[in-house]
Amino acid sequence: MKRRDVIARHAPFVLSLAAGIIVWEIVGRNSSPAFLVSFSETLRRVWELTLDGSLIVQTIDSLTLFLSGFVLALLVGAPTGLLLARITPLRVGIEPYIMILYATPMVALIPFILSMMGFGFAPKVLVVFLFGVFPILYNTIEGARSIKPELIEVARSYRSSERALWRDVMIPYTLPYTMTGVRLAIGRSLVGMITAEFFLSSTGLGQMIMGASQNFDTGSVLAAILVIALIGVGLMRFGLRIEHHFARWRN
Amino acid sequence: MADQTISPAAPLPATEAKSRMPARRRSGTLMPRLITGVVILGLWEGIVRLLAPAYVAKPSGIALAIPKVMTDPVFLEAIGVTLLSVIEGLAISLVLGTVLGLLIGRSNLADRLLRHYVNGFYAIPMVVAVPLLALWFGYTGAARLATVVFASVFSIIVNVSDGARAVPRDFLEVARSFRAPSRLVLLEIVLPASTPYFLAGLRLAAGRALIGAVVAEFITAIPGVGYFILYQSRVFHHNEAFVGVLLLAAFGVGFELLVNWSTRRFLPWYRREEMTA
Repeated sequence: MKRRDVIARHAPFVLSLAAGIIVWEIVGRNSSPAFLVSFSETLRRVWELTLDGSLIVQTIDSLTLFLSGFVLALLVGAPTGLLLARITPLRVGIEPYIMILYATPMVALIPFILSMMGFGFAPKVLVVFLFGVFPILYNTIEGARSIKPELIEVARSYRSSERALWRDVMIPYTLPYTMTGVRLAIGRSLVGMITAEFFLSSTGLGQMIMGASQNFDTGSVLAAILVIALIGVGLMRFGLRIEHHFARWRN
Repeated sequence: MADQTISPAAPLPATEAKSRMPARRRSGTLMPRLITGVVILGLWEGIVRLLAPAYVAKPSGIALAIPKVMTDPVFLEAIGVTLLSVIEGLAISLVLGTVLGLLIGRSNLADRLLRHYVNGFYAIPMVVAVPLLALWFGYTGAARLATVVFASVFSIIVNVSDGARAVPRDFLEVARSFRAPSRLVLLEIVLPASTPYFLAGLRLAAGRALIGAVVAEFITAIPGVGYFILYQSRVFHHNEAFVGVLLLAAFGVGFELLVNWSTRRFLPWYRREEMTA
């Protein structure tokens, strides 16, 4: 009974996946290899590139860049957001500018970063950082706004120390929002990672895609995209899980 | 206070209180905002003057470049084609995304067949597809349009399907007890109930669409704001290039404000916290 339920639940997904792969296979086999290669050919490329080690090296390269920029964004974004949450006049003053930066497409800054900082690891980390920091900041501030002023007043009238106020009111109330920012920042930092690898010094999976597409090596392009897709889906799940974990506090 | 919420027949005091509140709040926030703005610009100007080479963009230089760039027909055309392509792409995503989103949200079969694809594509940083799209559509505006659609459509599908799924069950049950035809249920209940989600999706989609358009222009080198910025900064006209960034920012902020405003104006029953979630 239970096993039949499982089959009934997952059958449509497996079928649709199989249908997608078959369509890809047929279209791929009937079009020029510069345009699209089949699923089996893509898997073969993944296997080849894994065997000669380049896919693994490039993936590690990309992930190093992603983690450096993302961790930096988290370390800067969350404390700054909390600090702004506590110092109301500063928050009120700086809020609109953070909103503006949040809505600005950061890719547009890459040419400036390129001509000022040149090629190297640091400018790329800066790009990933810029992509990731504003969602975290913006959402942390949003969380701070959601704290009812009465809560802080009550804490104050009971002569709560500054530390206790942070521990019991500020951080528990803003953290769930920060985590929404973290989830958004994961997605944006991935975009930052790829664009930095496209347009600054070429490394990692971004270089693989760029280089292969210039050689009309569509198989390698799709192989790299497949790996990025897996990383993206994995990180997105991870982000959603963190967000849900902390969202329980909200209610 | 309690009176107002209970009796709908007394809307006047409520609107009066509403219109007075923001005015008072605005005057309280305007000064710190202005001061912070001046401080930020001052710091930027000072640091660049002291530490950076002369070509690096600074507020005074940008201010001087604005009149020149804004009257430059090349720039105006670049802005025009990029924004047109973004709006065109968003319109396509809007129609496609709403149809697919409603389908996934309201039909179990469609949900099981398509959800994993949608979530998968949504999680991929869409810029990876630009070199491939450039191969498929050529180094033309079509590649940019395809990028914009690809970048924006999935956030609309995901949000609309979430919204269609979040329709309160009571509404649907009442509709069924009154034997409402399914077309009416869709148009009169599901669609309005999922509008806030739709707007939240549109807001995300607009940001992604702008990024997509700029990246497509960087790679394909077709005329547009992105390419204008790239070209001007390569010839070390950073101040001129930054005017392009300002316009992109203005478009991003403008869209954000438009969505927020229309949520408040047309969906006053929807609370803001739920939208950011």
